[in-house]
Amino acid sequence: MAYTFDWKLVLSGEYGDWIVQGLTITLKISALAIFFSLVLGTLIAVLRLTRIKPLVWFSAAFTEFFRNTPLLVQIFFWYFGSYSILPEFVNKWLYRQDFEFAAGVIALTVYTSAFIAEDIRSGIFAIPKTQIEASRATGLSFLQSMRFVILPQAFRIIIPPLISQFLNVVKNSSLVMTIGVMDLTYMTRQIESYTFHGFEAFTVATLIYLAISLVVSLSVNIYNKRVLKLIPY
Amino acid sequence: MRKWMGIFTAVLALLLAVSTAQAGKLEDIKARGKLVAGIKDSQQPFGFVDEKSKEIVGFEIDIVKYIADQLGVKLELKPVTSSTRIPLLTQGEVDIVAATMTHNKERESQVDFSNTYFMTGQRLLVKKDGGIKSAKDLAGKKVGSAKGSTSEQNMKKAEPNCTVVSFETYPEAFLALKQGKVEAVTTDEAILVGIKYSDDHPEDWDIVGDYISAEPYGLGVVQNDSKFRNYVNQTLIRMWETGEYQKVYNKWFGKDTKNYIPLVWKMDLWP
Repeated sequence: MAYTFDWKLVLSGEYGDWIVQGLTITLKISALAIFFSLVLGTLIAVLRLTRIKPLVWFSAAFTEFFRNTPLLVQIFFWYFGSYSILPEFVNKWLYRQDFEFAAGVIALTVYTSAFIAEDIRSGIFAIPKTQIEASRATGLSFLQSMRFVILPQAFRIIIPPLISQFLNVVKNSSLVMTIGVMDLTYMTRQIESYTFHGFEAFTVATLIYLAISLVVSLSVNIYNKRVLKLIPY
Repeated sequence: MRKWMGIFTAVLALLLAVSTAQAGKLEDIKARGKLVAGIKDSQQPFGFVDEKSKEIVGFEIDIVKYIADQLGVKLELKPVTSSTRIPLLTQGEVDIVAATMTHNKERESQVDFSNTYFMTGQRLLVKKDGGIKSAKDLAGKKVGSAKGSTSEQNMKKAEPNCTVVSFETYPEAFLALKQGKVEAVTTDEAILVGIKYSDDHPEDWDIVGDYISAEPYGLGVVQNDSKFRNYVNQTLIRMWETGEYQKVYNKWFGKDTKNYIPLVWKMDLWP
């Protein structure tokens, strides 16, 4: 039996709807994870540079632990493992919400924030030490000098690796299908098992992921060129 | 004379070459000396890892073992999941699939099935006294299942207002049930029985509900290979007629086992 391609099948009708639904979930998860991991990553990076030793240790431990364990294991930990750690009433409340989605976002955020923290740290080290000396000399506190002097410069330097991390988030979001989140990859496999036209389904999914990645890197690069580089520092 | 002998030999050789090129699965297996069977490795009592011997054993393993013995070849087991069993078969990674695969019309377009070797139906596994008695009670609730199985689709048909959460394997779906993440696990009753009795406290779980669908299991073979399929069917019939099937069935589903399901069904036989 020769394989007959049927592109209409996956692009319209019921299966086309599934792809759109999956795409929506993927975009939601990716957007939330990118935003929160930026916030968390910045926090962890700054903690690493304070003079309070416990904070430095916490930040180092956090980074090393979440960078060096596989994302899939972390996803399972947050989804299945959290049950044993959290109290009963918290669990009951969690499961009435969309806990699969939340666990996926949390796992993705924490995982990516460890990488982003390291990128930010390397960006900070790339700034001449004179910057921080000068900013402290003008009377700014540690946090103020971070916020107004160091971090803005660091972020501009690390735009390329940051884009890589954002693209990783979009691709890693496909792993949440293992805990039942109906993202694009989940829907693709669903279509494959219902219609057996896996080739068309996977091709469409690949092109969609490619499109998302290109849009993300293009928009960040445009933001960099048009906004960040033009700030007179 | 010599010329004709030469031409005759050449034609004979050509015919032989052509016939071996069209050799089917049966010849391949005999030449290879082993039958590669796709089986489940975490599905009591169909195919699972024995705690003591650490080998994969089970009802379906015994069936493919019988077929391999009849062929006179060794048996090689390859673990598959509900979602990989058909691709692995069509790609030729396994010769035969014995992995709780329901014979249905959709799958017929991808693979061929042997006669039914096990009959069961789809039901629900729930917490005892959880208040769920049938599919209708699951409206607005979450139900766990395994990816690539017929159970997902049938559950949606039986109760369109429930959310089906699909996991990679049934043990994960059961873990979600135990943790309260889903209210029920739905799949074939025989698999539910295996899951229920693999737990430390089987009395906490109930199998409820009417049969959402009939699930006849068939051995999966590659399409358009009637010779191999006929051989498998005849071997199954021989297994039933010699009483070997009943022996194997009682070994895994008999009165003394944990997964007692009485043998009320009869295999399709032909004289």
